[in-house]
Amino acid sequence: MLKAGKALKVSIYVSEGAKHHGAPVCSSILDFLFYRGVSGATVLKGIAGFGADHHMHSSSIVEISDRMPLKIEFIETPEKVNEILGKLEELAGTGIIDVQETTVAKPARVSKPQKALPAEHLRMEGKAKLMQIHIGESDRWKGKPLYQALVEAMRANDIAGVTVYRGILGYGAHRRMHKDKAMRLSPDASIMLSAVDSEEKLRALLPLVDQMVEEGLVVFSDVDIIKYSYRAQDVDVPSTEARS
Amino acid sequence: MKEQFQARMLRIHFGEADKWRGKPLREAIVSKCMELGIAGATVYRGIEGYGASSRIHHASPWRFSRDAPIMLTVIDTEDRIEKLIPHLDSMVEEGLIDISRVEAIRYARDDGKAEEPTEEQG
Repeated sequence: MLKAGKALKVSIYVSEGAKHHGAPVCSSILDFLFYRGVSGATVLKGIAGFGADHHMHSSSIVEISDRMPLKIEFIETPEKVNEILGKLEELAGTGIIDVQETTVAKPARVSKPQKALPAEHLRMEGKAKLMQIHIGESDRWKGKPLYQALVEAMRANDIAGVTVYRGILGYGAHRRMHKDKAMRLSPDASIMLSAVDSEEKLRALLPLVDQMVEEGLVVFSDVDIIKYSYRAQDVDVPSTEARS
Repeated sequence: MKEQFQARMLRIHFGEADKWRGKPLREAIVSKCMELGIAGATVYRGIEGYGASSRIHHASPWRFSRDAPIMLTVIDTEDRIEKLIPHLDSMVEEGLIDISRVEAIRYARDDGKAEEPTEEQG
């Protein structure tokens, strides 16, 4: 949070229609400032102006202009400004950036009372296994879709989590090409289940997977995990150090 | 039948709008994998993301031209994956390829067919 005292005021002038990698420059800059922790920023819309090209931009009807001038302004500590100025220069493209020394007479206060912080969440790092199961959407097990049965089986075996993905194109064991459009109608898309948990838990599940999957591919790989969790009791991932 | 082996997982990340010789890149790569006798390939579409060019990719069902992020996954033995890479070098103009070591278990129905159901020359 910005304190009273010496600070820098940065103004960036861009044109409303300017793009940076396909996105409007103004929103790219605003997002950048927001996610880099700048304490506040304002976008001001000009009503007329001209820039380096000496072309007059105004909001006359003749020219329902998307080239109106915009000014993005923020006040920050010199350290913060130095840290982000390089990237800002790139983002601003042809626009001008001006930095002035200023004095914060009264720092802003957060107007809303802070929302009660979520209960301190836990961050855990460790080694784990990623298990992927590749099957077909039309595969069934005891009358229900196999992917659904596998999810239920994992849930019943306390696997930390699993997500099912549907492919849009591909081929597998049968060398049948599954194609994009037809796939919407055809129920035989490639399905991939992805689960991350400790090696022991996933290996313990394998005999069950052996029974359930008639045709498919299971792959295991080593992964480094970072796990976030709200519940403080939930520290059951082996070989991890918990940090708050 | 159950068969266990060491394998490589190769993933290619690119955009849905990418083309190769006028044909969607994803289809071209899948065809190439088939041609090389690779066991399987699957293409997944992401719903949002950004990549090499920092273009934000959206997959909006309302928009006609889409450029969603695409991920193509191939899992096979190391030598087959190695065979694929030179082709990718010429096909993928902008994208990212990552390769990881995996332990694979293949399940196949034993219905009296050949032992290697996926291995004929393409």
